Amino acid sequence: MFKDAESVKEKFPAGFLAYEEFRNQPTIIVKPEAVFEVLRFLKDDPSAGYDLLVDVTAVDHGAGLSDNRFSVVYHLCRTAEGKRLRLKAFLNADKPVIESVVPLWLAANWAEREAYDLMGITFRNHPDLRRIMLPDSFEHHPLRKDYPVEGRGERDSFIKYNPDDGL
Amino acid sequence: MSTLEIIVTCIKVLAVFTALQMAVPVLVIMERRGVSFIQDRVGPDRCGPFGLLQPFADAAKLVFKEDITPRHVDKLLYFLAPAFCLIVPTVAFAVVPFGSGIRIGDFTLSFQIADFRVGVLYLLAILSMSSFGVVCAGWAQNNKYGTLSALRGVAQSVSYEIAMCLAVVAVVMSTNSDSGVSSTAMSTIVADQGGTYLGFFPKWNVFTQPIAFFIFLAAMYAETNRTPFDFVECEQELVAGYMTEYGSMKFSMLFMGEYIAMALQSALLVTFFLGGWTLPWVDLGDGSIAGGIASVIVFLVKWFAVAWLYIWVRWTLPRLRYDKLMDLGWKALVPLALINIVATAFVGVWLRS
Amino acid sequence: MGLESRLPEFVTTRLDWVVNTARRYAVWPMPFATACCGIEFMAAASSRYDLSRFGSEIMRFSPRQADLLLVAGRVCLKEAPVLMKIYRQMAEPKWVMAVGACASTGGMLDVYGVVQGIDKLLPVDVYVPGCPPRPEAIIDGFMKIHKIIGGERIADRKHGD
Repeated sequence: MFKDAESVKEKFPAGFLAYEEFRNQPTIIVKPEAVFEVLRFLKDDPSAGYDLLVDVTAVDHGAGLSDNRFSVVYHLCRTAEGKRLRLKAFLNADKPVIESVVPLWLAANWAEREAYDLMGITFRNHPDLRRIMLPDSFEHHPLRKDYPVEGRGERDSFIKYNPDDGL
Repeated sequence: MSTLEIIVTCIKVLAVFTALQMAVPVLVIMERRGVSFIQDRVGPDRCGPFGLLQPFADAAKLVFKEDITPRHVDKLLYFLAPAFCLIVPTVAFAVVPFGSGIRIGDFTLSFQIADFRVGVLYLLAILSMSSFGVVCAGWAQNNKYGTLSALRGVAQSVSYEIAMCLAVVAVVMSTNSDSGVSSTAMSTIVADQGGTYLGFFPKWNVFTQPIAFFIFLAAMYAETNRTPFDFVECEQELVAGYMTEYGSMKFSMLFMGEYIAMALQSALLVTFFLGGWTLPWVDLGDGSIAGGIASVIVFLVKWFAVAWLYIWVRWTLPRLRYDKLMDLGWKALVPLALINIVATAFVGVWLRS
Repeated sequence: MGLESRLPEFVTTRLDWVVNTARRYAVWPMPFATACCGIEFMAAASSRYDLSRFGSEIMRFSPRQADLLLVAGRVCLKEAPVLMKIYRQMAEPKWVMAVGACASTGGMLDVYGVVQGIDKLLPVDVYVPGCPPRPEAIIDGFMKIHKIIGGERIADRKHGD
């Protein structure tokens, strides 16, 4: 097993769920409640020492699922050697809420806003959780599996040019 | 002044003003075709033969465009700023000597509108107003781009004005008038550059004061806000800088003001350093009609060469970073100009002893 | 705009011709380049295809000084009010050219967040198809704009729009 995965399993026996490896890409699966502590350990521990958060993203595994519908995926990198790690946490459909990692890495700010905007995952304690790519008045979370690609008419509703407006 | 002199001066003013307004299209087409030549393109060639009517098409289009006054601008300054930008460089042309005089009987028709004894001081005073237009234009717009560009513009102008004035002081110090004393009259500065050293080397100030020449050259680009010092209107950062909220005729006045300032600085470089209207091997100041007309042609040829240099440098060199620009002005050019003045003083005293 | 209606027909036709010719040879584009079509527009303005032959070398990035709004690339839903604001800031007479498939109809981006053609927002004069259009196609679009300008009358444009 990957060395860092072993140390996570030792330190957090309750939160650690599984370890997978595919083509030399290690993935650790943890419980959502333990994500913040595990990431803090991975960042601060000198043997792990992941100083770069590459991305925070989310996956929707199917509209019909109610348990483990969403997963939040963190990609970490240790810049001194270039070793990379993926961390996953599964969330349920009725309450997709997870702790924000902005206190650890500031790079998570916009990445978590994107996950909120497009997938609807709420990040607790995020300093500024609002939509980043879509207009603030947009009502749904488009990248979920039950949302049609063409949208539900939002792309046609905006103010059109009227030359007699007087503006 | 007699009535004849007043009438002649008024005609000269009208002539110079008209010539300046005609100089702007010439500079525009020189720039457009010149830059296309440098960039291996064709440039405007559809409008008129060889594209020569292109600036007139631009001007006519701007005249017929809607004149907008946005709601959020400072009305008085918005109205006045283009006027400042256009008038200040035009007014400075009053002391530029275009040619030698033509003597008709008792009357000397000089090709200079006003030959003050303190012509250089007048010129430097007017030049320091040039940043006024930029600041008014930038402030009046009431938006970030304008304010930022106006602030940068005025800081840059003020720094390089000092270097330019010190360079001109050195030129004035090395000018000998007829009475053997240095003079600040522009016509004396030019007339002193006639003649040659050793029979063939022109007595131009570019050879007697080379350091001042290069300082003036660098400061000249900075005063007119042209690359490599064109922060004021760099498109990548400031949209259009101090010209952002101006459209149609107001924009065209700002545009023309910039080209007239370019023409003015070229004329000054020619006057102070390249011998003005004098040709070193022929005496054009004898008062004959042929001499007068030839001197004007000589001036225009030199002026065109310097204007081409302006365009050439603009499209060759990249822009300086702002702090490097200020460093260059204060830490390099001003000390160099001061050292130049001291050295000129030493050499002058040594030569006279 | 009352004077033109009182002058005899001959004078206004000559005046229209002069004004339209001046406007045709000095179309200053404002490149609203959002995506890949913007690169093709830059290619059209550079050495080999050279848009400056027609006087369109001066690209003013301030809408107040530009004549032609060149929308090159997709326009997102969040960007639509910005595009409207820029169009309103332009001074009459103004024209709009939609460069590429995304600006004309939404192109391959038939999705929730992209405006399906800027003609849902603004009055467009010329559409240039292609994904991205070749520079020659963009120059052809400019020729069509010139033709539209040539056929206008002064009285067509209301000031104060």
